Amino acid sequence: MRTQSRIVPWALPGFGWLVLTSMLVQPLKAQSSSPVDFTRDVAPILERYCVRCHSQQGAKEEVILDRASGLLESELELVVPGKPHESYLLDVVSPPEPSMPKDGPKLNAQQVEVLRRWIAQGAPWPKGMILEDRYVPDADWWAYRPLQSVKVPSVPEEYRHWVRTPVDAFVLRKLLQEGLRPSPEADRRTLIRRLYFDLLGLPPSYEEVQQFVHDPRPDAYERLVDRLLASPHYGERWARHWLDVAHYADTHGFDKDKVRRHAWPYRDYVIRAFNQDKPYGRFVMEQIAGDVLWPWDPDAVVAVGFLAAGPFDWVGQIEVRNGTMEKRRVRNLDRDDMVVTVFNTFLSTTVQCARCHNHKFDPVSQDEYYGLQAVFAGVDRAVRPYDPDPQVALTRWQLTQKRSRLAKQIENLQTQLAQQLPPEYHRIQKQISQLAQVPSGQSKPPEYGYHSRIEPTAECTKWVQVDLGRSEPIAAVVWVPCHDEFNGIGAGFGFPVRYRVQVSDDPQFRSATVLLDCTTEDQPNPGLVPQGVKLLRPIRARFVRVTATRLAHRRNDYIFALAELMVFDPKGKNLALGAPVIALDSIEAPPRWRRSNLTDGLYWGVRDSARLLQLVQLQHRLRELKARQHPKLRARLEQLRGELREVEQQLASLPSQQWVFAAATHFRPIGNFVPTHGRPRKVFVLRRGDVRQPLREAVPQSLQCFPWLPGKLELKDPQDEGQRRAALARWIAHPQNPLVWRSIVNRVWHYHFGRGLVDTPNDFGRMGSPPTHPELLDYLAVWFRDHGQSLKALHRMIVLSATYRQTSGVVGPEGKRAFGQDAQNRWLWRANRRRLEAEALRDAVLAVSGSLDRRMGGPGFRNFGFKDDHSPHYKYHEYDPHDLRTHRRSVYRFVVRSVPDPFMEVLDCADPSAVVARRNETLTPLQALSLLNNRFMLVMAQRWAEQLRKEHSTLEAQVQAAFRQGLQREPRAEELRVLVPLAREYGLEYVCRVIFNLNEFLFVD
Amino acid sequence: MTRSARCPGRQLRLMTRREMLWELGGGLGGVALAAMLAEEGLLAATAPRGLHHRPKAKRVVQLFMSGGASQCDLFDYKPRLIRDHGKPWDVGQKVELFQSTPGHTMAAPWPWRQHGQCGKWLNECVAPLGQVVDHIAFIHNMVSKSNVHGPATFLQATGFVLPGFPAMGAWISYALGSENQNLPTFVVLPDPRGFAPNGPKNWGAGFLPARHQGTMIRPHFDEPIADLFPPQGSFATRGGDQAALQALEKLNRMHLESRQEDSRLEARIRSYELAAKMQLAAPEVLDISDEPQHVLDLYGVEAPNTPWDGPMNEGQETRYFGLNCLIARRLLERGVRFVQIWSGADNGFPRRNWDSHEDIRRDHWPLARAMARGAAALILDLHRRGLLEETIILWTTEFGRMPCSQGSKGRDHNPSVFTNWLAGGGIRGGVTYGPSDEWSFKPADPQRPTWGYDVHATVLHLLGIDHTRLTFRHNGIDRRLTDVHGHVIHEILA
Repeated sequence: MRTQSRIVPWALPGFGWLVLTSMLVQPLKAQSSSPVDFTRDVAPILERYCVRCHSQQGAKEEVILDRASGLLESELELVVPGKPHESYLLDVVSPPEPSMPKDGPKLNAQQVEVLRRWIAQGAPWPKGMILEDRYVPDADWWAYRPLQSVKVPSVPEEYRHWVRTPVDAFVLRKLLQEGLRPSPEADRRTLIRRLYFDLLGLPPSYEEVQQFVHDPRPDAYERLVDRLLASPHYGERWARHWLDVAHYADTHGFDKDKVRRHAWPYRDYVIRAFNQDKPYGRFVMEQIAGDVLWPWDPDAVVAVGFLAAGPFDWVGQIEVRNGTMEKRRVRNLDRDDMVVTVFNTFLSTTVQCARCHNHKFDPVSQDEYYGLQAVFAGVDRAVRPYDPDPQVALTRWQLTQKRSRLAKQIENLQTQLAQQLPPEYHRIQKQISQLAQVPSGQSKPPEYGYHSRIEPTAECTKWVQVDLGRSEPIAAVVWVPCHDEFNGIGAGFGFPVRYRVQVSDDPQFRSATVLLDCTTEDQPNPGLVPQGVKLLRPIRARFVRVTATRLAHRRNDYIFALAELMVFDPKGKNLALGAPVIALDSIEAPPRWRRSNLTDGLYWGVRDSARLLQLVQLQHRLRELKARQHPKLRARLEQLRGELREVEQQLASLPSQQWVFAAATHFRPIGNFVPTHGRPRKVFVLRRGDVRQPLREAVPQSLQCFPWLPGKLELKDPQDEGQRRAALARWIAHPQNPLVWRSIVNRVWHYHFGRGLVDTPNDFGRMGSPPTHPELLDYLAVWFRDHGQSLKALHRMIVLSATYRQTSGVVGPEGKRAFGQDAQNRWLWRANRRRLEAEALRDAVLAVSGSLDRRMGGPGFRNFGFKDDHSPHYKYHEYDPHDLRTHRRSVYRFVVRSVPDPFMEVLDCADPSAVVARRNETLTPLQALSLLNNRFMLVMAQRWAEQLRKEHSTLEAQVQAAFRQGLQREPRAEELRVLVPLAREYGLEYVCRVIFNLNEFLFVD
Repeated sequence: MTRSARCPGRQLRLMTRREMLWELGGGLGGVALAAMLAEEGLLAATAPRGLHHRPKAKRVVQLFMSGGASQCDLFDYKPRLIRDHGKPWDVGQKVELFQSTPGHTMAAPWPWRQHGQCGKWLNECVAPLGQVVDHIAFIHNMVSKSNVHGPATFLQATGFVLPGFPAMGAWISYALGSENQNLPTFVVLPDPRGFAPNGPKNWGAGFLPARHQGTMIRPHFDEPIADLFPPQGSFATRGGDQAALQALEKLNRMHLESRQEDSRLEARIRSYELAAKMQLAAPEVLDISDEPQHVLDLYGVEAPNTPWDGPMNEGQETRYFGLNCLIARRLLERGVRFVQIWSGADNGFPRRNWDSHEDIRRDHWPLARAMARGAAALILDLHRRGLLEETIILWTTEFGRMPCSQGSKGRDHNPSVFTNWLAGGGIRGGVTYGPSDEWSFKPADPQRPTWGYDVHATVLHLLGIDHTRLTFRHNGIDRRLTDVHGHVIHEILA
């Protein structure tokens, strides 16, 4: 076996290794003609053929070929400098029978010659150089080969009647090859039970079973299958399988396992997608990049909840500071989870093995792996808005498009105007900056000014105003920017991007005179230059207000700050000095920040009033020059601004949006968790996966394993993260990508039969299992891909087959023989009996006891007591199973990562912290105890008994009805002889409880 | 050892048969019934020689101090801190801390004294351990990959910083199975106030079969083991339960008649028999009325309240931890393989764990005194009963604390140095291995720290397990408790 041969080490007795010390110190004189360059010629050979097994990290012992120091410390002899014929390395790699490399291609004669000459020339090794493994396994493996169009095998005459769908022809051929025969078809009660649990995850009712058993129509089975596939419960059942692989949960996991309130829209999306039978290719692409590819489709936006479904390290992301190693580690693992989930789920490829080194078995290099991380380097796990109503979503998308178009036009026009300003304008600007120079000797006073509260967004209105005490004649108003080194901002700190200045006699400013309106255009930051307006004729007013309509950026947040506000009367006296200040809000943190600083006369900059008024005069002139410029263009600008306002109003009038926890580029920052705004973070290829050892920047790319489908992603703007994901999505869901189609048909098969055609559904690589029926797998994959990619059609093809309909029992001597030969049923000579999964069992208990609430969708029900805290508390022992809100299907259970529901866990439900392609199936005493004694089970037994007593008057009838409802068949006399006395002596509840614990209840034949 | 054996991807597949048993959904013919049941681990196939080699010990108690117990206030004696107390702390490099910037050098709030024949310096807050210090091997150069509680706790508990991996106890259960069919193989005694960061995921089975997960026993609770008995107020009665179990077996046997080849069905029938045995055995473990007074006193399970200047008081802590230690002993002597005791609950306020950012004196004293008394009692008691030789006691925490202050009285996280200690089966007592530097800030030799992997490898080694050969295939990788790392620390072995 491959593995076995690989682990045989090099360290054979008598193996000679040599120290390179001497040659490092003193390279011997070259004996061959042209000199060999180590980096150019030798390193690539060692990296390609040797380092994989002989690196210091890997080889604890003697044979280290990735660094000089490893050789220095070695006592073995391998290379004798200057003496190729004494160097054992050459012996083992040289033709005709090289023993190394153990696996894979050997060195060619030319390469051996390079080594020979290198040794002959003294085997120099550049100081400190460490080699990397460059070996990447080839793609010569069944899973990476193109899909084959396979012909359905011909069926021998005697089996023609048995074969129902193409599936059977393939299965039959294998069976006959193995000398086996198919088992008889199961009886109808077994079949309907099997179909119900398989397709809906719920038991049929006794009446439904009776109807089907007695249905005389020849297509009764087909009708049943179609009815079940059309049921909305089908989506709930199969979504649960999908959520196992997506590792969905309603909390973050880790230390502070916070509630993830908006996770459920993604869960509902999956249910909808299954019920709508969304074409699989579209389903795949939506979950990777739906928000980019179909931004107007609400489902496509919610779908990227897939990328965010896994754990989120709250402390690492939010509390740990940016720029630290810890932060890099956290982000590396966060992206790893996205990459791994995508590749395991859609392509059954274990790219995770290439995080620390090239994949040992499959064609995935470390560069490709980090290239995939780079694809997801622009998104984080966070809440993002969406419109549940598709019409609204479309309107919003159109308006948003229009808005950015208008903004672009406005910006262009403004640039155009700015470029055409007259020389006088520039002259004045120069004059202003000279006038406004801070007088030498003046230092920054400790009183910085007024500072608003901090906001998460810039689009926010804030005001501050002074009260002159009474209506006064005003000739000029001047306002001065702040200076604060916070976040390296300095001059102009907090100065609004858009604002207006008004005066009024009304403190509320219900009617006011606008002195200056800078709300239609972003203003350049003035640094420390005081800004002002001069009035041709003084206006009388008592209050002067500055209103910011777009705030200044601080650090992931926004503020409004001003150092001083001055109001000059016609004589040049500052009326505002010492005047009271009021504001919408303020951070009072004296001495630096407080309202009263706005009128204290203290600020850093020109304070001389004559100079100030001169400045104001010049600024007035600038505005005049601007206003007079190009009346036509100005008018056009105004028109565009009007249109933009209108669009913004329309947007504001749309119904409010909902939230989904998903991959996101724009979100409200929390602590150190800051969005990328669509610009990817840099990702590096990491030596040994260690964030402290970056090697080179990673290039966004996919795998290079298909020559006909290049993994190089074509990106118009590589710095647009959305393009990266969209390109990867197209690559993954490409018709010529064989993995994606094989993966999904195998997954579906796995859930129908309890084992896939490949029984490692997440690993089609060399460490996975090979397919038992490779041709059937390819037949199904091609058929599925080319026939609408309909999962429902695939289900139909499978469950209508004779293979699926076989009995699970061992029938007759033929069955015994088959059992002896293939107990594991690899060749499908019978059906597999299966234990109900945790969810199916719980749902069956609810359904049978008449408690099941079949309402779909919405936030998950909580079957625990909850107390929020630093780390929230989830207390399952406080759960009251009488709570009707919790009687919904288990797919709607609120799934906590850190504290699993003990009842579901003991029944092997999927661990949402891990990608689960295949659940364990255990049978333990603790499981028995839970099914017997868990409060939920007892309450349901009691509810069921109460129901039965209402429906039936005699105890015998009640027991009989319980049996029918629980197991969907008539009890036999000997079974009644056990149950009736139990009911008589201890109550009907006991009968219900026993039925819940029966093997027949738990297993589906 | 070879390169190949160290990377889990390259392992030979040891457990093919196990995987067949547990992962196949179909009929399982010719398979021993016992294989389906809880008592068997991998060991059953190779006993009694040990899984890979002859074991030194059979059982493990892991004492987990949650929140980051301060090595330099408990075990790692540094005269330099006493000398420079209150002076600026300058190690000549930029130090990246979790939530603060380095403050002044800070000595432990209590005095140090030498103990035992080995003369180990212990702080007064753990002085009760002095009487057993000659049984203990200390490791002072432990390091962690993370300075965040969640990932760091996972690393010590499961060997990985991410969730989804099996706890050490689950691996050992998987490897060795149980010595007592009537009790779980891996038992967890949480802090009665609540769960440490990551909650029960710290003792989950990860991808191993669910039966290997830790079973919680909470002796301080009304219902110490979930679902062991029907809840109060339900319709269930003792007599009814017996009759129901009989009826269940009869009906299950009728069902089995036509399905004999499916051994899972028989296994499930037996699981109810085992459940009934557990109902008898478990309460007996928790009933300490047969313990003599001197034993109760030794563990301090009746310690009186001793007010302290914080929300925690030494007496209450002693009762919490002492009872858990006493129950642990009772579990161990009945053959439970792995017992995990937690000191410290979640990261809330007021403090209820070892995460003393605010005040070492206030919070470490009651926790440390209680831990020292309980742990010393456990070691003494096991020793008297002759059980210490076959039981490993492992004391750990997720990371250490800084030698400087954070603010005035607390200390920030230190993932660069912390302490573990081991005692019991196969451990050389009275030794100190792997010193830290003069500050207790980093390992004395930063190139050769000790990792949790090494401690895990050492514990497995003592149990007869080669940590590189205990693997389980999950999602394409042969996983190990020690990932691709780990060296047995031979220096602390007897």
